[in-house]
Amino acid sequence: MSMITSDGTTSDGLAVHCENPERQPDSNPAEAWRIDPPYTLRSVALVLVVFALLWLTGSRVQMDRLAALTGEGFAVALGLRESSQVSAGAARIAGELFPMQISERREVARIENFDRNHLPWFSHIETEQTRERRLNPTTLVMEETTQEREYLVEPLGYLGHVALKMVETLEIALWGTLLAMLLSVPLAFCSARNYTPNRAIYFAARSLVSFFRAVPELVSALFLVVLYGFGPIAGVAALALHAAGFLGKFYGEDIENADNGPQEALRAIGAGRIKVLCFAVLPQVFPQYIAYTFYVLDRNVRMATVIGLVGAGGIGQELKGRYDMYNYGHVATILLAIFITVMLLDQLAARMRRRFL
Amino acid sequence: MMMAEILSTTAAEDNLLRLERIDKRYGEQWVLRGISLGIPRGQFCVILGPSGAGKSTLLRMVNGLAEPDTGIVYVGGERVDNTNLARIRAGIGMIHQHFNLVTRASVATNLLAGALPKVALWRALLLWFPALYRRRACELAAAVGLNAAQLGRRVSALSGGQQQRVGIARAFMLEPSIILADEPVASLDPKISRDILRLLHSESRRRGTTVLCTLHQVDLAREFADRIVAVRAGEIVFDGPPACFDETFARRVYGDPAGAHLPDATDELRVGESLSCP
Repeated sequence: MSMITSDGTTSDGLAVHCENPERQPDSNPAEAWRIDPPYTLRSVALVLVVFALLWLTGSRVQMDRLAALTGEGFAVALGLRESSQVSAGAARIAGELFPMQISERREVARIENFDRNHLPWFSHIETEQTRERRLNPTTLVMEETTQEREYLVEPLGYLGHVALKMVETLEIALWGTLLAMLLSVPLAFCSARNYTPNRAIYFAARSLVSFFRAVPELVSALFLVVLYGFGPIAGVAALALHAAGFLGKFYGEDIENADNGPQEALRAIGAGRIKVLCFAVLPQVFPQYIAYTFYVLDRNVRMATVIGLVGAGGIGQELKGRYDMYNYGHVATILLAIFITVMLLDQLAARMRRRFL
Repeated sequence: MMMAEILSTTAAEDNLLRLERIDKRYGEQWVLRGISLGIPRGQFCVILGPSGAGKSTLLRMVNGLAEPDTGIVYVGGERVDNTNLARIRAGIGMIHQHFNLVTRASVATNLLAGALPKVALWRALLLWFPALYRRRACELAAAVGLNAAQLGRRVSALSGGQQQRVGIARAFMLEPSIILADEPVASLDPKISRDILRLLHSESRRRGTTVLCTLHQVDLAREFADRIVAVRAGEIVFDGPPACFDETFARRVYGDPAGAHLPDATDELRVGESLSCP
């Protein structure tokens, strides 16, 4: 602005304003200048203190043991050692997780309304003969009897089951995110200092936002299961509350930091608060909103797999059940399904971000 | 002559806009000191002065973006206060130095936003603007020299000069009786500045709009103003037709570093103020 001032006025010879009054001759000769090194003895001392503190806390959380055990594990892997705790554990887990469970095998007698003529796709019936020794009640002699049991085998049955559970998990994450967006809009409005109706509401909204973020999904899911029973409702609600805290905070801060110029332009012609918010603030903050919302969706998918552990629906519930029954082959399938889902979602989110931002 | 007519109507009742004994200070610093000013309907009045002279604050008092410590602002004979501020604001368009457009939104949306005070909230939220305003936005876009393709484009895709054209069109959306232009060309290069002021001048003339415009370029003020009000350090040091605002005055408004010889300079200028223009 000042450049245009001096240009514009001097070109007409009207003003004598081009001399900057603050520009004075240097009283300080170049010999007296110096460039200090980027750090001093004090900063070195500070770094040493930080290292000492890290050493202290590191030993409290057994970082030395971490290094030792991991080193032993690698030594076994390289054939330098016979055995170690870590490698033994890893071998045991690997042994139990594999082979992964893909098929589903159910006893026909236990299937309700089993229709032999209409088997599910790609499935067949296996017959298994088992010999059992039984006491014959009339002769009171132990006899060997042969029993025949039929099993329905679906080669990809368990995979299908996991896929269905995964879909349910994604649905929980989606609805958790949608409810969070709805909840966070009034929270953001009330916790933005320049739009909140009054101070009391501002502090109430701020506290609520902090509270929602302070309670982890897993903990709120525990309580919500008591309120709504086992199943997806508790999961959706738990995800929504936590994410609403997150989105409320970030949406609110974005509203506060939005460029004031366009807002003032609309206030100057007498537009009300909500109109100013919608026409001068929302277009500015829209890209960040999309980014936050994708982050929340991404996080919710991962969290939705976890909160099932406490009975809030989705694949986590299946995982917990199988783990408790020592069906580690099933657990492996579930873990793989979660991994693939998260990876695909990452790709999708990246693509969406490129598209919208 | 038209100019003479406009200048002759100085009786207080005829003024569309009137400021009376306005004082404003931030802490110890006086921003405005005893400013009284009447602007008749249809006048293109330029408030001229160096940066920090208080001209922007003076302008913003008209629509309540700044509040005077003491003094009264009348718009259309009505005293501006908190009860009628929203209604009065809807009748005053404003053009800003940094355009103050939403750069991510389209030109059309920015133009329609200029009609927001008169549009029902539910319509605004659904982006369902009345046909009247949609048509007017198109007409204004054409009038300020934008083309149909640019209507749908984001404002950020336009050059500075084109953005200010959008700003001018937006200010006319509600057919205001007054337009406040706060340094409308300070962010533009000299040639574009002249084009933009010419546009503002001709559009306001055509619609009979009263314009209060702050500028710091003397040549532009002399070219477009019906009347120049020069402000320095919060006080009016010249008020008259541009023909009387010669180089001597210009030098006195801008010349000395602020405060240095101020009492002398203003004394002289006070005398100058009473000069009548032939």
